[in-house]
This record gives sequence, C-alpha cells and structure tokens, in this order.
Amino acid sequence: MAGSVHGGTENTMTTNALVQLTNVGRTYNNAAVAALDGVSLTVEHGEFTAIMGPSGSGKSTLLNVVAGLDRPSSGRVVVDGIELTGASETALARYRRTRIGFVFQFFNLLSNLTVIENVMVPAQLAGTRPAAARTQARQLLHDLDIASVERSYPQNLSGGERQRVAIARALINKPALVLADEPTGALDSRTGTQVMELLDALNQRGQTILLVTHDVNLATGHGRRVVSLRDGAIVDDARIQPRRKAEPAELVRLGAGEL
Amino acid sequence: MSLRFGLLGLLAAESLHGYEIKQRFEDMLGGTWELNIGSVYQALQRLERDGLVEPVGDRGDRGKQLFRATSAGEAALAEWLEGVDEEPQLLREEIYIKVVLGARRNQNGAMGRLLKRQRHAYLQRLRDLADSEKEAQARGRTELALLFKGGRLHTEADLKWLEACMEELKTR
Repeated sequence: MAGSVHGGTENTMTTNALVQLTNVGRTYNNAAVAALDGVSLTVEHGEFTAIMGPSGSGKSTLLNVVAGLDRPSSGRVVVDGIELTGASETALARYRRTRIGFVFQFFNLLSNLTVIENVMVPAQLAGTRPAAARTQARQLLHDLDIASVERSYPQNLSGGERQRVAIARALINKPALVLADEPTGALDSRTGTQVMELLDALNQRGQTILLVTHDVNLATGHGRRVVSLRDGAIVDDARIQPRRKAEPAELVRLGAGEL
Repeated sequence: MSLRFGLLGLLAAESLHGYEIKQRFEDMLGGTWELNIGSVYQALQRLERDGLVEPVGDRGDRGKQLFRATSAGEAALAEWLEGVDEEPQLLREEIYIKVVLGARRNQNGAMGRLLKRQRHAYLQRLRDLADSEKEAQARGRTELALLFKGGRLHTEADLKWLEACMEELKTR
C-alpha cells in the first residue's frame, strides 16, 4: 500500500497503532489473583473498540493502565508514541491532560463551576489562555447541541446534558484517545442511546474511542470490535460488522414448520 | 396456530383475497415470516370449513375470491388474543443439540472452538438486530421494532447460556 494513490485514512491495511499493550500484568499486594494477567492489545487510530467483561474481570484496571492512572506490574504500555511504563508522574499527568479524554459514568463535573467553565478546565490546565479556551469550549458546546446551557451549573442539567458537557470537556484538548467508562450507566435508555450516537458520530470523524462496559448490547451496538476480558485476561477479540444489510428473515424467523 | 389466527386477524380488519393476504401478512411481520401461497389457501380452506371466514361476493376474473371473518371468527380471534401462552419453551436452534452431543463426545477442544465461534455469531447477531430495531423504530414501525427487540433479548440469553457452557465445560 505504500505510495498508493489512495489517500484515504479509513481501512488502510498498514499497522497504525495508537495503543499498544504488551504482556501487561497488574497485581495488588493484598490480592491473591492478578487484576491483569498477560494482556496484549493493540488499538489502531480511528478504532471504536469495546472492552467488555463482568465486574472484577480487570476492565477498570486495563482502563486505568491505558489512562496512565495506574502502572502495570509487568509488561509494556505505549500510547500515542509515549512509553508510559517508565514515565515520571509529571509526564503521566501531562499525558493524561493532553492525550486522553475521559468520559465517566457519573460525569465528574465540578459543581461550583458553570458548564463552560467545566469544559474550559482541561484546556487551561494544558496552558491554553482563557480567551482561547472559552472560544474552543463555546464551539464544542455548540457542536454538541448544548450551547444554551453554557452558563448553567451542572446540578441544574439533565443527565443527558451533563454527559454532553463531560464529552465536550473530554474533547477540548483534541485527545488522541477518548476513554469512555460505562458512559450510559447513569442515564435512561433513550438518553443513553443519544449519548452513544454522539460517540458514534465522533468516531466517524476519526476519533479513536475505547469503551469499557459490562453491557453486551452497548459493546456490540457500536464500533467494530469487542474485546472480552475475564479474570484479568483477554479471552476473546471479536470483529463486528456494522450495518450488515441483512434481510429480516435472516435475523428473525417466525413460524418455521407451521401448519 | 399463529398463521391461522394471523390470517383471521387480517380478515377481521378487511376483506382480502389470497395473494393480498400473503402480502399483508408478510408486511405486518416485516418479512420475518415468508408464506407460500399454498399454505395461505390451505389455512383459508380450514378457516372456512370451521365457519370462521366466509367468501365475499362472486369469484372475480382470474379467480380472485375475497374473504372476510365471520362473527364466529371475530369471537375466536378475540379469545385467542386474550389467551396466555403456556406452551413449553421452544429451543429449536441446532446449537442446543450440538452442545449436548458435543459434551458427551468431548473430542479434544472441538467444543471449545465451536462455542467461541458461536459466540462471535451471537455478538454479530446482536448488532444486526439492534440495527434492524433502530431502523424499524425510525420508520415508525414500533411493533416491528419490538419483534427485533424480542430477538435481541433471546440472543442475549443465548449468549449468557453459551458463556455458562464455556465455564462449565472448561472445568471438566
């Protein structure tokens, strides 16, 4: 493919790893079993990957390791060309601020700041000047259809609006990777669907997303890949085809063998 | 019984001839049940024999005969619609037999490989059903979306069962 005239970034055959875990292990002093045990995983630029597993399967530990919030006991973690394994605390903090966008189940917004101030926080921490941060935040709020609540406080918003604010905050530093941890867990199903459609749209514009969930419908309903974790190990890595134009009769069959 | 009362339900709403019945029925179920015209006529014949439908007017050109539900048909339909379904759980997919038989044969990991591939198929099916459900909902076909949701929830149960099989058979 090298030198090919086809310049599109989608579906290129070349390896284009954004996240690379090699034989990652994580043990805690007080635990008998490893939280992560020999996990190797490559996520390419532009992928929407779901990490699925029951509670205790290691998915939160995996997320924390990729996020630079936790250090593996063994193995190697490279994200966006940055070797996390031996990085200093300062380097890890900078990595989290500039390369990662976090979307949590319970939004984690600051209640004493307005919506736009919440969105501006990561930009200002990364050194963006307030006026520029405000402009960027305003644009994101507009893109996410919540411009009207700019001056509200989080506690006066609906769950869906709060999660949109959190997504705006996650995106403001143009992160290489969005980590979404049960992003619909605190939302009703209709609002949850809207939030997931938002993540789908971001991914279609090229945003790499790692979704962590216990919910198989969430994991299979979005993106193209479902990685299953169990007891700290990857037990399966399935590719999912979106919009496979199946005839209804190929999906559901009623009344076979009637009469 | 579903076909018999499905047709009766259509004929309670309007008079139709055989081919229209086939089309209406298939459309009602979003193409999840394809009928051949022979089984439509067979069902019509039985419904007429039992006094639940009756012909309307004369047989038109090319033999198109309209049918409608009788009042006895209306009553039978109402009774059927209100009846609770207490039939045994239907487990018709071949995978159930394969697991039972495969677990007995226990041939070096063949079952484990099958279960893993079957799990992939279920994951993909969940996506397909979710896509179809969304599409039906977007077209305003709520009742059809519910049918796909039914399929999705069954697949979710199948997936859980498959994972239980994996756990159980691994330990042997």
